[in-house]
Amino acid sequence: MASVSELYDVGWEDMRDNRNSEQIVDVGEELISEHASKLGDDVWIIYEQVMIAALDCSRDDLALNCLQELKKQFPDSHRVKRLTGMRLEALERYDEANKHYDAILQEDPTNTAARKRKISILKAQGKSTEAIRELNEYLEQFVGDQEAWHELSELYINEHDYGKAAFCLEELMMTNPHNHLYCEQYAEVKYTQGGLENLELSRKYFAQALRLNNRNMRALFGLYMSASHIAASPKVSAKVKKDNMKYAAWAAAQINRAYKLAGRGAKENKCSVKAVEEMLESMQITMS
Amino acid sequence: MGEVELSCQAYVKMYLHAALFPRCSVNGLLLSSSSTGGAVCITDCVPLLHSHLSLAPITQLALTQVDVWCSQTQQRIVGYYQANACVSDSSPTPCALKIADKIAEQFDGAVLLMLDGSKMSADYRVPPIVMYERKDSRWTLKDKHTIMMRQWEETRAVASQLLDTGDHMTLVDFDSHLDDITRDWTNQKLNHKISELSCPANGTI
Repeated sequence: MASVSELYDVGWEDMRDNRNSEQIVDVGEELISEHASKLGDDVWIIYEQVMIAALDCSRDDLALNCLQELKKQFPDSHRVKRLTGMRLEALERYDEANKHYDAILQEDPTNTAARKRKISILKAQGKSTEAIRELNEYLEQFVGDQEAWHELSELYINEHDYGKAAFCLEELMMTNPHNHLYCEQYAEVKYTQGGLENLELSRKYFAQALRLNNRNMRALFGLYMSASHIAASPKVSAKVKKDNMKYAAWAAAQINRAYKLAGRGAKENKCSVKAVEEMLESMQITMS
Repeated sequence: MGEVELSCQAYVKMYLHAALFPRCSVNGLLLSSSSTGGAVCITDCVPLLHSHLSLAPITQLALTQVDVWCSQTQQRIVGYYQANACVSDSSPTPCALKIADKIAEQFDGAVLLMLDGSKMSADYRVPPIVMYERKDSRWTLKDKHTIMMRQWEETRAVASQLLDTGDHMTLVDFDSHLDDITRDWTNQKLNHKISELSCPANGTI
């Protein structure tokens, strides 16, 4: 059985929607044109997937083809109506797309997918403030929606509103205490905020992220950097300084070990390994 | 202000970086290996991030490591590039200005380069870039005529050829390096491929 840490051993790429659109278009187009009749009812979900991938690759011909098949089969479906809206979004016809989403919401005010599309339109138009406001209103009604909390944290990070971003991430950590990525990102936000108190918090959460997944390199570097900064601060007591130098030294040793293991047999990353080694050396000199 | 010359290798890697992460903002550093007096000659670039551009730790880490690598290889950081997730927006974000400021502290003629997402299609006739320079402690739009791209047609052809063959998938930025440290952010393999493709046009780089 997989252990908890293995279950969560995914990178940000997998956490975000990693759509692989180009591949889906390649395979899906052939699948639909050659084998559609053999797929039975599975064909509809394939049409939907291929259509979204086609929008990503700006293959409107393929997207429209899929959409028409779906419309024929499900003339009154909200899900298909949403896809119609998404095609209009891809063509940058945002007003028309919004009309479709509004129509869905009028019939079904709890349709979360349509509300999210409306927010993503605001994002695409560069209206971050409005997107943030809408997302906050959305979260008042659907407080358990983790995807929305994560999106909101990213919007706040982009707006440099780190305090509020931290709040969103706290919310996510509470519902996913074993997810090392939320921990690590929370630590990154705290580090960015700066100040001794935030730095200490960031060091703790980098450490926690490492405890949840000891292969998280961002957390390892983060621990090293936050501990070094605290140790270098003139405001801390001799004991705190000594402790943090110990943490930094431990992290540096782990980083060195990780790069040695990774460098075994592979010549490809020689340059980056050399850069890390020298960086660790030079940072130690400035600390002592 | 002096002229800026952008090499094929630097442009192609920037272009592929933006193409590899179409839904994300991406950024990176511009490097120079020559120290001529007047013109800034951008010979290479290091793709940095495609997520959370405005968080400090990874940016600091990347800057330190690229700096170390540069001093090992007789190069220096001369600028910064960014492509915004929002295609219609090619203006520098506060975070872009901040990092560019840091670079300008170390290098006088530093440039800030924004990729214009709306002009990135392969058949576009001019380079889809907007360049800023630091004047009187503010970043101002640079006169287009002072940006030089040797053999733009060939460079453009190399970029779209690599995109067609799927070689942009082999580009490694600092973010992906942290996900898998066996991958090399200096992109030696890709550099080699670019110089092979551009060789007939440029001679040796």
